[in-house]
Amino acid sequence: MTTAQPAKRTVYRAAKLWKFRYHYLMFLPVFAATFLFFYLPMGGIRFAFFRYTPFQPPSWVGWANFEKLLFQRPAFWTAFNNTLVLSLTNLALSMICSVVLSLLINEIKSRFLKRAMQTIVYLPHFLSWVVVASVFYIILSPGNNPATSGLVNAFLMRFGLVGKPIFFLADSKWWTPVYLFINRWKETGWGTVIFLATLTSISPDLYEAAQIDGAGRWRQCLNVTIPAMMNTFVVVLILNLSKVMNLFESVLVLQNDRVLRATEVLQTYVYHQGIVAQSAEYGYPTAVGLFRSVVACALVVICNTVSKKVNGRGII
Amino acid sequence: MSLTRRILAAAIAVVMLCSLGAAASAETAKPETITFFIDTVFGSMMLDSTFQPVVDAFKEATGITIKFIKPDHSVYYDQLNLAFASGDIPDLMEIGSTNYPTYAANGALWDMTETWENSALRASGVVTDENYVNALKIDGKLYGFPLAMGNGTITYVRQDWLDKLGLAVPSDYDGFVEMLRAFTEDDPDGNGIADTFGITAPGLINGETPYDIYLREFYQDAKPDVYQKEDGLWVDGMQEPQMIEALYRLRDVYQKGYMDVEVITNNTSAAREKFYAGQTGTFNYWAGNWNVTIENNTTKNFPDAVVKPIPPVGGIYIERPPLALAISNACEHPQAVFEYLLSYAYDGAEGQTLFTRGVEGINYVKEGDAYKQLPDPENTEKLFEKVIASPDLVYTSWIDPIKLDDRLLSSKAMFMENRRFDPVPPASQVWIENISEVIPIRKEAIALAVTDENVTPEQAIADYVSQTQPFIDAILAERNAD
Repeated sequence: MTTAQPAKRTVYRAAKLWKFRYHYLMFLPVFAATFLFFYLPMGGIRFAFFRYTPFQPPSWVGWANFEKLLFQRPAFWTAFNNTLVLSLTNLALSMICSVVLSLLINEIKSRFLKRAMQTIVYLPHFLSWVVVASVFYIILSPGNNPATSGLVNAFLMRFGLVGKPIFFLADSKWWTPVYLFINRWKETGWGTVIFLATLTSISPDLYEAAQIDGAGRWRQCLNVTIPAMMNTFVVVLILNLSKVMNLFESVLVLQNDRVLRATEVLQTYVYHQGIVAQSAEYGYPTAVGLFRSVVACALVVICNTVSKKVNGRGII
Repeated sequence: MSLTRRILAAAIAVVMLCSLGAAASAETAKPETITFFIDTVFGSMMLDSTFQPVVDAFKEATGITIKFIKPDHSVYYDQLNLAFASGDIPDLMEIGSTNYPTYAANGALWDMTETWENSALRASGVVTDENYVNALKIDGKLYGFPLAMGNGTITYVRQDWLDKLGLAVPSDYDGFVEMLRAFTEDDPDGNGIADTFGITAPGLINGETPYDIYLREFYQDAKPDVYQKEDGLWVDGMQEPQMIEALYRLRDVYQKGYMDVEVITNNTSAAREKFYAGQTGTFNYWAGNWNVTIENNTTKNFPDAVVKPIPPVGGIYIERPPLALAISNACEHPQAVFEYLLSYAYDGAEGQTLFTRGVEGINYVKEGDAYKQLPDPENTEKLFEKVIASPDLVYTSWIDPIKLDDRLLSSKAMFMENRRFDPVPPASQVWIENISEVIPIRKEAIALAVTDENVTPEQAIADYVSQTQPFIDAILAERNAD
């Protein structure tokens, strides 16, 4: 009896494998691509423990690269703090703005207008960051004189709201709010995709029941819509949290010499140390990259654990 | 080309080939193929079909096939590093002065000092200005051969604006600032609108060495880098008193609105476009061929515009270290690459014509007594410019069969009269590790000192010192150890 059971289970598994063979066949390219492009390159992580240039065989340095970044490079900690502040603020704004915009779009009754609005708010997502940065540099340009000022400064000056033009992207006080605004302009629409899908899946019966109980639009939103979105909200939050340390292109294209320290994030620090510095020494930048990944991973695990404890739900 | 010059060129070529052949047959094995990693060579050319006529002509002359590898310019060093990392190392490569010392310090490049010293090329006297070869020596060792003269930047002004305002070309710093003021405040374009400013530049500091190549009128004797003084001592130029003076000069014109307020966010193309668009009347950019390009693009928008290079004001122009053609240490026949390819490409005669102007009948043609360029195979609206080196940046006795534009020659002559060489930066593990931490802080200090009215140059430098001192100390301790 005891020996027959595993054998039976093996036969069952083989039969199941054979039954779904075409599904597995279709999955194979995805598996191969994931392995090749996501898992195989992880072998490069080992260079965080080496002194590595393309010209000589890697030499083992143990934890030296990590000691360097933790104790000898103040610029690393500046980049680390900037990354956390920018990313977490951006994440919070992203969640709030996307949910609010989804609720507003969901209120549009005309099917045509709703679709048109969705298309309009999705479009900025498809512009490259280089194009977006160029557009905002022009709009926000201080100009040497009123004739060459950008739209925003021309407006502010015209109505006497400022005494002289503001160089928004070169002033460390303004850079972060402007960066967050540009991010929301570009990505909020795209962030509504999943929330809108959730909103359309809420049973109309729940709204009818709420109406019968005397709930107005606001009460329906608070007691029906938002609770129904919580699952999605948690999933999107955890998924986005895994990407918070990945700020790169959006920061790089909006950086300039005057705000370098206020805007340097870990990814741009790695880029400047590994590529721009032309030192051709990749061990230290790899260590910074690995440290960043470990922190991102820890954030996801913590958030997932908290979510499980509070809501009883997580994604892992 | 006169008959005497032709005979002279032919004689040099015969001597070179004979000595090259004798030396080569005695000491070096001829390789079948030479792999050649190139960036600026052939201009922006990307197609094999453009390379092929040169490859064929070289094979006919030497029996060796050149295999050109040309990555996109924006990823050139990524690809070159990748080639080294993967073991697919080229025999010969083009390297800029910022990367050249790093490659040399890592043992990637073949030491060609002895080969050059004893070469037939050197003995022939064809290399008329050895300063360019010496400029590539690191601690007395030569790891690369100069691709061309280093060249540098020169200040261009709108002469038609000066004429309208009744101003002469400035000869001192006060006159220069007065010109910038007039270009900003006196409506030099005469359109009745205050829409111009005095000067623009691609940043307050260059992105690579020489860092002070632009805005020469303001930097003058200040050097925003760690450098070796004439007495041999290494110092941090940012901490010298003349840097404070330079920052005040820059700050003064910036705060008065004479300088492009967006100078810190400009890249080179943005700065060029502002000059072409008539927003500014002063612009510091490359001497030589760029003179013609700048004038042509400006006159497209303003047919009456006259663009003139001016002598340096308050300082001197800088000639950057030349691009290097370096042979890799992994090359099987480095001696042969030097003797068959480099010696031929810089022979002052037919080899140099091939590697500069290309192939007769394809890249240029003889019409009557004169030679003229043919259209670029990849862009027929342009004329074919060059193979390896620009014809105006030659440092040998080679005589160009094609007459160069007078504007190019006059701008180059003005640059040559008023330039000093900038040395190749040093390279060591200490230098490489520490300088990358210093550079961003240095850039930010300069930007703040100039553009932030609440931060004085002294405060910006004090902050820079507090942030960079351990790194600077490490660099200077190593440099001054001897």
